[in-house]
Amino acid sequence: MTTQITSAPPAAEPRKGDRRRPAGSPAANVGRPGFGWALPAAIFFTLFAIVPLIMVAVLSFMSWNGLGSPRFVGTENWSRLLDDPVMLKSIWITLLLTVLGIVVQTPLSILLGVWAAGHQRNRAVLSAIYFVPLLLSATAVSVLWRALLDPNFGIPAEATWLFGDGNLFGEQTTAIGVLAFVSTWQFTPFHTLIYQGAARAVPEVLYQAAEIDGAGRYRQFFHITLPQLRNSMITSMILMTVGGLTTFETVLILTQGGPGTDTTISAYYMYEKAFKSFDFGVGSAIALTLVVAATVISLVVVRVSGYDKMRSSMEGVS
Amino acid sequence: MKTRAHLPRLVACGAALTLALSLSACGNGDASSSDGKIHVLVYGDASNKVEKQIVDTFNKTSDVKAVLDTIPGADYQQKLQTIISTPQAPDIFFNWGGGSIQPFVKADLLLPLDDFIKKNPDLDNRFLPSVFNSAVVDGKPYGVPMRGTQPILLFHNKKVLDKAGVKAPQTWDELLDAVKKLKAEGVTPIALGGGDRWPTLMWFEYLYDRIAGPGLFQKALGGDTKAWESDDSKKALSMIRELVDAGAFGKNYDSVKYTNGASPALLASGKAGFELMGSWYYAQQQEDAKAFAEKDLGYTTFPIVPGGKGDATNVVGNTNNFYSVLKKTEHPEAVAEFLKLMYSDEFVKAQLAIGNLPTTTNTSQFLDSSANPDYSRFQYDLVAKAPAFQLSWDQAYPPAAGTPIQQAVQQFFNGQLDADGFIKAMQALPTE
Repeated sequence: MTTQITSAPPAAEPRKGDRRRPAGSPAANVGRPGFGWALPAAIFFTLFAIVPLIMVAVLSFMSWNGLGSPRFVGTENWSRLLDDPVMLKSIWITLLLTVLGIVVQTPLSILLGVWAAGHQRNRAVLSAIYFVPLLLSATAVSVLWRALLDPNFGIPAEATWLFGDGNLFGEQTTAIGVLAFVSTWQFTPFHTLIYQGAARAVPEVLYQAAEIDGAGRYRQFFHITLPQLRNSMITSMILMTVGGLTTFETVLILTQGGPGTDTTISAYYMYEKAFKSFDFGVGSAIALTLVVAATVISLVVVRVSGYDKMRSSMEGVS
Repeated sequence: MKTRAHLPRLVACGAALTLALSLSACGNGDASSSDGKIHVLVYGDASNKVEKQIVDTFNKTSDVKAVLDTIPGADYQQKLQTIISTPQAPDIFFNWGGGSIQPFVKADLLLPLDDFIKKNPDLDNRFLPSVFNSAVVDGKPYGVPMRGTQPILLFHNKKVLDKAGVKAPQTWDELLDAVKKLKAEGVTPIALGGGDRWPTLMWFEYLYDRIAGPGLFQKALGGDTKAWESDDSKKALSMIRELVDAGAFGKNYDSVKYTNGASPALLASGKAGFELMGSWYYAQQQEDAKAFAEKDLGYTTFPIVPGGKGDATNVVGNTNNFYSVLKKTEHPEAVAEFLKLMYSDEFVKAQLAIGNLPTTTNTSQFLDSSANPDYSRFQYDLVAKAPAFQLSWDQAYPPAAGTPIQQAVQQFFNGQLDADGFIKAMQALPTE
């Protein structure tokens, strides 16, 4: 990345007050922006992420219904949460949905992405169509599918051989299935895009060499394409994990956590506690738990995958 | 992009609330209406037309002017609760009475209206008592009825009932009989938007009232959780079980919603015979299926349960909407004047014209000017004669109980909870 600094006049005649590049500084820093560049983002992040986070942490030790003054209650919210069967259940359902999302979406988006990176006829048109779901908001998507899946007037009514009585939202398995399906429908295009970009970046020479060695299309895919997609795969999976842990709108609109509490994921449970039951203390405790969990899981994924070392995917190319 | 956006957003909401709170703490004593006006906050929808008109009328004669603020959408309660302890709080606000204002009363934010009523007894006398009482908290009135009453009625499709040789049921046995006959015709006997959960709750509210009378629920609401274990309670549950097991609601009611028009469409299209719903159903069908609403939509009261303790004319539903007053209002006299307009002829006529049914004693004089005189008269007589009008359970309990009630109801219907499980769930509800 080139920045304006590199095109600044040489340091022969230093201007007054130019602190970033004092006269006679070694050329090592040429092209590296100073800390000042990060300041707006840092301020923004502190104001809208760090400060609220601290406040939520404080609030998790208080009892507050939004009216009057919060009352300090020590660890009561936390111990209530530990004994709450719905909380435990919500964690399992959240993890289940997250894992389901990754397992279903990853292979799908790799295949679609690699295909979309090619040069077939009509590819551009089809890719554009695949991309449409991503342009819709999660709310619109959920409302749409809720109507499409109505047992009496929607798809299930036309395909009774597949859906039976169509009670998709009345049972846990099918309700979770619908949630996973709708997320997949909406977010596969995004991950496809990541893989398409990555697949296009794979140097052509690798395939040419493989061809000379007599490798078929499947071997090329498994031995060249897939390994080259490694870093993109990690990026995509981290996004899926964090996205899965914070899924919210789909549950709010499609199932409202039901039947009973069978699809109450943690993020929805937090909303329910804070904004429907007006128990902001417990809501904050759930929020904090989610923040910690998402951070830990992301870090683990980064560590385990070796992404932090940024091992080059260009090994063996040059 | 999905990813990280949601969590911080929700977290930020929480923090914004904290901020709002600290602001209001600093600005201690700052009256809500420091601009010298009284602010009237209402749920933003089609009824705002009338409210605007009433505010204009008020401003013609009053020195202290009123301003109408609206909060659109279903998030009214959430947004109200966030601004009510800030300097932006209104002087007068719209609510559903009962549990929906109880937390505000507990937080000492509301003005009891007995002084207003002492000076002007009409503020009480001119409203139907069964309605007025549902905004009484701890023995003190905290609301004056506004907009209209919304009793729950049993609607039916006349054509479908005729074809199956069924009449609108007067008793529980006739209902069970109708269910059998409608099933034989291959239609879903009763349409139910179980996906929204509150329509399911309506069946509990009516059956409990018919079997045990209004006392049982009032006891439970007052903190006597033993009421849920009583024989009457168990009988009501067993009758609900019987109805569900008879296939009255079909098998996929939990996947059907009322709010997206799916369950009303079942009735309108002749795929179902009955639907239990609030009185707004008529207007809804008129919008969705005009021809059906005009020709084939029938309505009756909820069937009688023989031997039940509840009066057969008791009603369940949203008793009304109410205006409550904030304690810190700077213009109590102007507010009292404003509230008087809620039983004025102008108010009643304007509400009737848009299909709302006000619960003032003078309403009966103007029923003929309503959008549908027969229907309005039926409803008005029902409410006027009702010895008891049970506010919906999830509104009567404080907001914290709303979700647990709806969950328990849904789980009892679909068999995840048995009677004992349901009773336990209800006994665990927070009453304050």
